[in-house]
Amino acid sequence: MINPVLMKEIKVKMRSWKAAGIIGLYLLILAAVAWFITYLNNNDMYSATINPQFSIGAYTGIAVIQFILILFIVPALTAGAIAGERERQTLDLILCTKLKPRTIIVGKLLASMSHAILLIVASIPMFSIVFLYGGISVLEIAQLFGFYMITAIMAGSVGIFFSTYVKKTIAATVLTYALGIFMCFGTLFIAAVYIRVFYNYDYQGYFPLFFANPLAGFSSLLMDQFGGQYGGLNFIPGLNFTNPYGYKGTDPWLINIYVDLGITVVMLFLASIKINPIKRNIFSFLKRKRKAEIIPKPN
Amino acid sequence: MLEIKNLYKRYGKFYAVNGLNLAIPEGEIFGFVGPNGAGKSTTMKIVSGLLAPNGGEIYVDGVDAFKHNRQIKEKIGYMPDFFGVYDDLKVDEYLDFYASIYKIKDKDRKKIISDLLELVDLGHKRDSYVDNLSRGMKQRLCLARSLIHNPKLLILDEPASGLDPRARVEMKAILRNLKDMGKTILISSHILSELAEMCTSIGIIDSGKIVISGTVSEIMQQIYSKKVVKIKVSDKLDDAVLILKEFPFVDKITVGENIIQAGFDAGDEEMSRVLAALVGRSIPVVTFAQMDGNLEDVFMKVTKGEEQQ
Repeated sequence: MINPVLMKEIKVKMRSWKAAGIIGLYLLILAAVAWFITYLNNNDMYSATINPQFSIGAYTGIAVIQFILILFIVPALTAGAIAGERERQTLDLILCTKLKPRTIIVGKLLASMSHAILLIVASIPMFSIVFLYGGISVLEIAQLFGFYMITAIMAGSVGIFFSTYVKKTIAATVLTYALGIFMCFGTLFIAAVYIRVFYNYDYQGYFPLFFANPLAGFSSLLMDQFGGQYGGLNFIPGLNFTNPYGYKGTDPWLINIYVDLGITVVMLFLASIKINPIKRNIFSFLKRKRKAEIIPKPN
Repeated sequence: MLEIKNLYKRYGKFYAVNGLNLAIPEGEIFGFVGPNGAGKSTTMKIVSGLLAPNGGEIYVDGVDAFKHNRQIKEKIGYMPDFFGVYDDLKVDEYLDFYASIYKIKDKDRKKIISDLLELVDLGHKRDSYVDNLSRGMKQRLCLARSLIHNPKLLILDEPASGLDPRARVEMKAILRNLKDMGKTILISSHILSELAEMCTSIGIIDSGKIVISGTVSEIMQQIYSKKVVKIKVSDKLDDAVLILKEFPFVDKITVGENIIQAGFDAGDEEMSRVLAALVGRSIPVVTFAQMDGNLEDVFMKVTKGEEQQ
């Protein structure tokens, strides 16, 4: 049976003009990027042939823009999921039903993700432009979209986590973006400082913190797809995103995916515990005694 | 149907519920009365599984509420004092959502929703967006929502608060219907006279404890051990007082303008003897009536007249 929370959310979300508006705007941005890249290529008066570099450029351009859009949109979609219910005073009405807390959390995540996934799927035709010029295989597009999905789910679970722990949607959104910024740029900064202080920029490897960095994972994926020949993302000496530095022969972006899945599970687990009215303390599941069994001291 | 034993809920050093005991038999409408902050809503939330207590036991239909939390939720329909609705859903979609949570089969769902909408008199609004309903209609819709899984016990936290007189009357009529359907109802309200009218029994809660409980008449009897009789005469007030003083079971006589109020430690027979004596000695008696202490008086008396926040 389909999660009732998911069913309701889909019904409500797809009914409003907002859903169509967001998809339209999203595709418009991607289309603009694709058009701009094609325009640049077609106006290269010194080249009369199809430049294989163009395919890589167009692919990278659209992929990067899409990735940034996902990282921006998903937290906004999920951070209000539970906090919004609380603000609308509808959360208690769901909690007093027999629905399990984890069903509510997963339903909310899937509902928000369904929107993000729709955006991602709707953008697939945009990527077909690169097939005109060759150089990118369907498998590589599939890898990219798989990475998008996992990253979106991870970002969504972070949004749901904060939405559960913080009462206001705005605060949850800010915290979600703050953690996202830390994961993307904070880890870069820490790595740069660490490598400067302890290795004097002579670090050989994929810095462990990057396994939780979506940008590093994304860069690693693109490097892998381009055969490592465009390793120019090593803009700070010692910060490597390329595959030779993968852990025990596994591509770094694959480990990023495992870490993202781990973060998702932990975030959803903590959110499920928090939302359960009878287990508000996140560590209470470790306690053997139920709260109800604690003998109180009357005043 | 509902049994609460020694229930405690603490916020820091403050006990919102402090050793509360309560038993409500099946089919009763139990009125939960108390000043703000007395612990009514907290108790109701704990019973509904929305708050963890610090101690105590709760049994619903004989089932331990803490051990079998989900099973209990099948038996309880809860309507909070403040609630929101999903504005972007239609009335029947709103109920359909909750019906799907309780896994009510599609073929039964339509009929149940129609019946519930008829019960709360919202049948004509089934295709309207919830956002467009009046407050009273939203209250009734929320009541219908709490009934969607046909619970045995209804917990209604101030269901008539904020409603205009007509909506209150409608809500009372619905609750009477529910009583006739055999539901057990725990209802809280500040409008004591309304509770007195529709409840089979009442419990007054103060500082997290039940101070007094029973039927309205039982409570009156506990509070007012003696009968108070109000006698109005059109003349001969002093003579009437003298006659009353002849009876040893009459005391605490207070006199106002043509009105005498007296305490009677006696039965109906003795009271009729007093009336006969007054009339027999040509006292022009206009009124001779036993005063019912009203629930507000009882409330103020047992809660010390203090509002606690």
